[in-house]
Amino acid sequence: MNEGYKQVKRMTPAMRIIHWVNAICMIGAIATGLYIGHPYYQTFMADGAVDKYVMAWNRYGHFIIAILFDVTSVLIVYLYFFSRFEKPYKKVIPNAKNWTEFKDVVVNLVTLNRKNEFNSTHSDSFNTVYFTIFHLLLLWMLLTGLQMYVWGLGSGLSSIGSWWPWILHLSTDWTLYVTGGSKMDVRLSHHYTMWFVICWIVFHIYYQVWRTIFWKEADIAIVIGGSKFVKEEKANRK
Amino acid sequence: MSDRVEAVKKLFTSKSSRVETNKGDTYYQDLFEKCEARLNEMRSHTPANKLDFTDLLEENGIDRREFMKWASATTAMLMLPPMFTPLVADAAVMMNRAPVIWLELQDCAGNSEALLRADGPKIDEIVLDIISLEYHETLQAASGFQAEKQLDEAMEHFKGKYLLFVEGAIPMGMNGQYGTIGAAGETFHDHLVRCAENAAAVIAVGSCATFGGIPAASPNPTGAVGVMDVVKNKPLINIPACPANPANMVGVILHYVLTGQVPELDSLLRPKFAFGYRIHDNCERRAHFDAGEYVEEWGDKGAQNNFCLYKMGCKGPMTFNNCSIVRYNEAVNWPIGVGRGCIGCSEPDFWDKYAYERPMADAKIKAPTGGVEKTVDEFGLGMLTAVGIGIGIHAAASAIAGKREKSGESHE
Repeated sequence: MNEGYKQVKRMTPAMRIIHWVNAICMIGAIATGLYIGHPYYQTFMADGAVDKYVMAWNRYGHFIIAILFDVTSVLIVYLYFFSRFEKPYKKVIPNAKNWTEFKDVVVNLVTLNRKNEFNSTHSDSFNTVYFTIFHLLLLWMLLTGLQMYVWGLGSGLSSIGSWWPWILHLSTDWTLYVTGGSKMDVRLSHHYTMWFVICWIVFHIYYQVWRTIFWKEADIAIVIGGSKFVKEEKANRK
Repeated sequence: MSDRVEAVKKLFTSKSSRVETNKGDTYYQDLFEKCEARLNEMRSHTPANKLDFTDLLEENGIDRREFMKWASATTAMLMLPPMFTPLVADAAVMMNRAPVIWLELQDCAGNSEALLRADGPKIDEIVLDIISLEYHETLQAASGFQAEKQLDEAMEHFKGKYLLFVEGAIPMGMNGQYGTIGAAGETFHDHLVRCAENAAAVIAVGSCATFGGIPAASPNPTGAVGVMDVVKNKPLINIPACPANPANMVGVILHYVLTGQVPELDSLLRPKFAFGYRIHDNCERRAHFDAGEYVEEWGDKGAQNNFCLYKMGCKGPMTFNNCSIVRYNEAVNWPIGVGRGCIGCSEPDFWDKYAYERPMADAKIKAPTGGVEKTVDEFGLGMLTAVGIGIGIHAAASAIAGKREKSGESHE
């Protein structure tokens, strides 16, 4: 360790595992989701239909990924409020301290790191808001996705009992009205949201790399090793 | 917006869209007795017209056996157990005791066509032939004051008993002046409200009457709306589709004649027996969908092999209707069967949101930013490009600023 630098822990093992599960799932969800929306590769004509099952596998993969997202989302909602490490909800409360921090981080970004006036030993307010936006987008994907899923259970039955479609109707039917009243609106919204998620990811990756290069605090290591390094004098800022 | 709030409230207080196909022996025994009593009572009424169902069947060369086959199929369609078959057959014979007033508003008369079509009428159409059609704006011989008199008389005579069938949307723009009827220039809106007042139930037939349909398609110049936006506080049944399937019209009337009640409805007021199932799940080409075998262009090898029409824009996966089971024209065929995709004609806003004959991802629609219509993917790629350019500028600027800082430091 360089002298004058302090190692700070930023992500617990659970957070890192969730991050990478989400990252891999996202790639899978986009690849399979684009196929479901518009099958972009073709199957061999000569193969028997029983050997192919291409759309069905894509849908299967898409739904398994959705279940993984469900599970990690529940964990994240829990950690959001009850984590013993950092409770993210505390950083999105619009109080004066959070506002100042949020502004300082944005200023740092737009002044190309000329101004750097915040404490980077913890997840800052800007980062937490950005993280929250992602999970709201993901929640919207889950709700619209489950709404589309329940159409296939039109008879109100499923292999695990009728409670499942019932609960899906109860929890997601409102998305129909919010998006515009028809089933197609839910589909369009699901598809639009994918693009918002992709844009989110692109900026996320850029920002992490940019921080690593310009802050010189090894931010990119957080998501693998869980910690980064901050100059001692900087770490002592309020 | 308040409409939407209402709709959401209704949704959460109504039963789920679950289709209950078996309600238990006691329920059906009870219903059976009620229906029997009702039919016996109806038998004593004098028919409103002189058409005899049995004669009509004979004239059209349909024998008793064929009729009973139809009765058992219809019983199944209404999701009633087989013991109801004789009652359904009885009810069909007594359809001439069900007074019907049929309004024709802003539409193409396609549902009347569906009601009449078939060069050799099948049983569904014959049943619709003998209903006591007291007034039908398109079909009746009378016109002008004569027709209006007939309507007034029918409404007076069958007050509180007649079924009001409505075909077509209601133009609300310009105080409803886009559509008027009769010498007095009564607007469609006033006409509908007046006729609905004393109806036993209102049945909106076809997508225009249910959701506004094609007249309500963007930009909806006449401000067209469906019947359910105009008629409140009345039992209302929606039978959407373009045109509505005569089998479902018969089903609703039969259900009414048989039980005196409206059938169980979903959140869009569509009878569950007809709209409780998704087309996609009962489609004969479903296996090709799962296999990833799609028609890529009209007339290709896939089309010749009856492959799935999803990539040609089939909206079966988002459409609830029973046409993949009962089909049209007495089960002769249906859209997928003739090799073209479903356009979702029984769903709200189908003309704008379903009927573009390409997959949803390729559909040109109004982007959230407004302006020129583009596909979701074009919009998304545009957004992604903007993000990319932004990032590029920021990265380049950061790199230059970083270098300057460095050289600045070395000068010190």
